[in-house]
Amino acid sequence: MKKSLICTLLLGFFTNPVFSAETIKIALTGPFSGGSAPMGTSMRDGAKLAIAEINAAGGIAVSGKKKKIEIIERDDEGKNERGALIGQELASMDDLSGVIGTVNTGVALAGDKHLQEKGITKIITPAAGSASMTQWSKAGVKDLSIFRFAADDSIQSAMVVEEAVNQKFTKVAIINDSTNYGVSGHDDLVNQIKKQGNKLEVVATEKFNIGDKDMTSQLLSAKSKGAQAILIWGIGPELAAVSNGMAKLEMKMPLIGGWTLSMSNYIDNSGKNGNGTLMPQTFIEEAITPKAKSFIEGYHKTYNVTRIPSPVSAAQGYDAVYIFAAAIKQAQSDDTHKIKEALEDLHDPVKGVIETWKHPFSKWDPANEQTHEAFRRDNAVMGKVLDGHVVFANESERQRLIKNASK
Amino acid sequence: MDSNIIAQMAVSGALMGLVYALIAYGFQLTFATSKSINFGQGELVMLSAFFSLTLLDLGVPYWLMVPGGLLFGVAMGLVVERACVRLSLEQKSEGWILLTIIFGLLGFSAAENIWGRDDRPFPTPISSEALHIFGINITPVEISVAIGVCAIMGIVELFKRKTLLGKAFEAVSADRDAAELMGISATRTIMLSYGLSGMVAAMAGILISPITTVGPTMASALILKAFSVAVVAGLDSGFGVVIIGIFIGGLESLTSYYLGSGWREAPGLLMLILALAIRPNGVFGKASIRKV
Repeated sequence: MKKSLICTLLLGFFTNPVFSAETIKIALTGPFSGGSAPMGTSMRDGAKLAIAEINAAGGIAVSGKKKKIEIIERDDEGKNERGALIGQELASMDDLSGVIGTVNTGVALAGDKHLQEKGITKIITPAAGSASMTQWSKAGVKDLSIFRFAADDSIQSAMVVEEAVNQKFTKVAIINDSTNYGVSGHDDLVNQIKKQGNKLEVVATEKFNIGDKDMTSQLLSAKSKGAQAILIWGIGPELAAVSNGMAKLEMKMPLIGGWTLSMSNYIDNSGKNGNGTLMPQTFIEEAITPKAKSFIEGYHKTYNVTRIPSPVSAAQGYDAVYIFAAAIKQAQSDDTHKIKEALEDLHDPVKGVIETWKHPFSKWDPANEQTHEAFRRDNAVMGKVLDGHVVFANESERQRLIKNASK
Repeated sequence: MDSNIIAQMAVSGALMGLVYALIAYGFQLTFATSKSINFGQGELVMLSAFFSLTLLDLGVPYWLMVPGGLLFGVAMGLVVERACVRLSLEQKSEGWILLTIIFGLLGFSAAENIWGRDDRPFPTPISSEALHIFGINITPVEISVAIGVCAIMGIVELFKRKTLLGKAFEAVSADRDAAELMGISATRTIMLSYGLSGMVAAMAGILISPITTVGPTMASALILKAFSVAVVAGLDSGFGVVIIGIFIGGLESLTSYYLGSGWREAPGLLMLILALAIRPNGVFGKASIRKV
């Protein structure tokens, strides 16, 4: 008994490194269950689609030898404490090449410090809360292994305020949920209003809690103070309660807010009341380019759906994998530190479904977290809910993307 | 304009208050007979809602789904009684507190695994287009909640007062030992009360789902309020929960409007503290006098 145990242990000892050298290990983490699951699973499935394509082509050439990607999946359930545990677990893996994922800003705050300690390269997508990157600039970290591949909240809030200004509104109400995400979104909106010349007067500032379903008092307050538009930051189900409440009170003003307004649990639960809702998007589920067409069709076919639960998350997961793969190829190594260096200086453009990424990241500068942020204002468009789908709000932006792709 | 707003707010708040009252009523039913309550009542609301949604998905028409959902609630209530309450009552222990909480957690995990963790819309034939009544916007779905709450509570109260079984229920509530001496089985009556409590929970689930959507956490916010309502009104106050429910619901709305939405939860919790400090038996509760 004892002998066999030792034998097994020894065997494990010897076979392990040999086995691991055959594949490149990438961890996909996110909430695959829970309120944020539409984003988490779409991100994961988009990323898996890209990995399957890469593996089908034989894998990535690393120092002359083609290696396939092996996926390690971890469900953080959108809970901060799970995020911390997973961060610790992944940080303790010696042969991990990198991590892609995280939807909830709180989870990123709880888990990423463990990865950063060990210098494990991570691309955050699609978590958008500003704090997941600004925490590093505030701490003055000199060398950072965390990158973000999502339109962060400062970009989104700028677009939301821009939209309200463009529609010639002067009075708005800000409604947000009482989580980290909602409160920081509120602050971003207020900052953006100031930045864009104080053209909007905030007549009402209201809050709601996760699980609240009756928004009457918040909405009446906005209505009675003469708000012409409602700027909102929250998560799917409560956003739907706001939208349904507006219909009940016959408030016809537009609802403009963060990209979470494209979540399937917002669209489904608000039904026709959700029509016309505006939100920034990085990807719209419409086959406007050949690349987008093959991606959307591939997703629908592989996962047997007619609508991607969160197209933005899926597309970002997909592109993040290709960018990561490009870094491995350039580094000619599956060592996570070398991949990080390659990511900071990608030579070749990476053809993604959102766009062709040219040098998305640069060397980390603690004074400017934009160095590790891939998305700029131009990478996002306004989306609009129409009969259960998110479509382009402005035809001009749609044309712009088509033109960019054909270049 | 202003009086309209106040009226609108009071009506919306009162409607939520009625839902609190219905869940609180479920607490009362079991407390009356057994002096125990099901801390997993919120999960019963949620499980029944999911079950009813499944029936609808299977193509069962709405009006058949309602009795089906209610029956499921009764069954769940009986399971709670058998699994969590009976043994600890026999041993005169307070074990039911922990056991019902555990049952709730179990139900929560089961729902997550069976139905997933997404919030889902609950289709209903009742329209949610707003009607205008005296300058107030109110949807037929909301009216159906009000009618449903009053109807089910009325039926249960009638049952308690007019039928033999109901009288047994009242007898056990009044004095368990004396009732047993008269040949009424207290165990059976407690089972009945848990069954009724489960049915009330199912009714609450079916009524509010079109407004709140169905998800594992759908009742977690409601249950705390319902508990406040039950305690403030008194755990043996009967229709007192309705008055307190409407009052707390309306107060929440008005507080949220005038003090800011961050203060929304404050009045309910404040009243809970005040009630416990000043009238531990509740506003409508009877002071417990025990003859020796």
